[in-house]
Amino acid sequence: MRINVRFAGSGGQGVILASVLLAKGYGLGEDYNISQTQSYGPEARGGACKAEVVISDEEIDYMKVDEADVFIALNQAGFDKYKDQAKKDAMVLVNSTLVETDDPNHYKVPATDIAEDMGKPFVVNMVMLGALTKLLPKIHYDTVIEEIQGNFAASIAGMNIDAFDKGYEHAAGLLKSAN
Amino acid sequence: MEEKSSKTTEVILQGNEACAMGAIYAGCRFFAGYPITPSTEIIEMMSSEMQKCGGAFIQMEDEIGSACAIIGARWGGKKAMTATSGPGYTLMQEAIGFAAVTETPIVIVNVQRGGPSTGQPTLSSQQDVYQARYGSHGDYEIIVLSPSSVQEMYDFTIKAFELAEQFRTPVILLADEVVGHMREKIEIRDGSKQIKSVKQKYVVSPQEDFFKGANTLVEGQLHDDKGRRIGHLAGRSGDFINNINKKISDNVDVIADIDTYFMEDAEVAIVAYGSVVRPAINAVKKARKVEDDRVTTKFKILKDIFVKGIPETFETDYSHLKVGLVKVNTVWPCPEELLKEATKDAKIVIVPEMNVGKYVHEVERVLKDKKVIAMSKCGGDIHTPTEILDEILKEAGIDE
Repeated sequence: MRINVRFAGSGGQGVILASVLLAKGYGLGEDYNISQTQSYGPEARGGACKAEVVISDEEIDYMKVDEADVFIALNQAGFDKYKDQAKKDAMVLVNSTLVETDDPNHYKVPATDIAEDMGKPFVVNMVMLGALTKLLPKIHYDTVIEEIQGNFAASIAGMNIDAFDKGYEHAAGLLKSAN
Repeated sequence: MEEKSSKTTEVILQGNEACAMGAIYAGCRFFAGYPITPSTEIIEMMSSEMQKCGGAFIQMEDEIGSACAIIGARWGGKKAMTATSGPGYTLMQEAIGFAAVTETPIVIVNVQRGGPSTGQPTLSSQQDVYQARYGSHGDYEIIVLSPSSVQEMYDFTIKAFELAEQFRTPVILLADEVVGHMREKIEIRDGSKQIKSVKQKYVVSPQEDFFKGANTLVEGQLHDDKGRRIGHLAGRSGDFINNINKKISDNVDVIADIDTYFMEDAEVAIVAYGSVVRPAINAVKKARKVEDDRVTTKFKILKDIFVKGIPETFETDYSHLKVGLVKVNTVWPCPEELLKEATKDAKIVIVPEMNVGKYVHEVERVLKDKKVIAMSKCGGDIHTPTEILDEILKEAGIDE
């Protein structure tokens, strides 16, 4: 099994960190091989940013993603740029505050709204990661929470976990209404 | 390479972090550097880790300072490394020549980005493959290793320290942005490896550290085994140059290393190094249809997961294509004999590189009787498996 995951957004949205935590969630939580790569410009903020995670139960040769099985768009520019490079049956998750899509099969999470309601606009990536953890198979809530705790200083780990939980719950609601 | 008894731990690391960990395991206890994308994580990690293991870290004023500092540190008895990218590597060239002529065992990491000049700070390239070999002036041989995975960023860094000590020479770890920034699950070894400096018969310079040898003289002019100048003596100078080159060129069989994939009967061979190896393996597997079962399983499982769409399958059968891959681990010295042996049945050799086509000339020189094709890609993106497969099909005379 090989799952190709692509994240797209802009620099500063935490695109790469979300992909790293997802990769660790699979790589450390279950016995999967992972390859996490990224592509971004020289800017510290703004500019296009892409991150990719390959998850496989076999050795990973090609470490990048051609056509995505799972595509996560944090902004419109990223969605427009890569939506045609996702497989027809791909799982698509968008930050619906910033991304417009008419496709009823796309999972929509208003991540920027959720983050701003918390008064912490920068946790948008954690909201998306929470939703993704709920939607994807074989990735465990506890493993990702542990990774988040390990990644941040104790003083800010809490707010990131709160944001993660909100995304996780939102996705649970989406799945419930779909059934 | 490693003692079987040593314990390992499984971790997820970035390539640059793995390089730093490999250096520490190999006994590196001095690091001097100047941060530059995409190698900065090595310097970052060394700045905190050197203190923890009793080593020293200095952020230098520039890259030539960094290279000179590690030469000094090695003569002071510490294994030493620096890391940079293309622009900084250019600035180190004078010191690399000095390390070659003084036969100083140091490790220099170049995580390549797009050039020339400031070029493309965040994107990948293999444009420095010649500079790694020919960057400094004068006649010298050098060892250059090219990792293609995070595990190899770790393993080859250790190997770089071993080769540096074994042949008393600077060794270059020629990585690129893709392997430097990529994260993968790897095995790292517990403890620390004792790499001994072996007295080399070809070595003509002093071999005792400052604090051990009373008469150690480190001299950039051609010199004798006490470090005394011999540059004015044509005969002895000629011997000196021949000796420092021969210690590497006469030991290519010891130094050179390749891996082969499906080469047993290959008529079309891909020769690749660094991160490009990865899409190349995938392309070869696709051509051989090795992936077929795997693809079917993959889509079955995915379908179960997402319950959408129809599984795609390969429609075209290329299984009659005899394609293989030669992965070059030591780009310099060029593994000539190994390349010839591995490609003995091949008629066509394709060399994909993230540059205008450089190492392909070396492959052409070695494999004179074959059709050698450059597959150059510039701009910062790595080749995709599809691009390499298309090239294989084109050269095999199969029209799509």
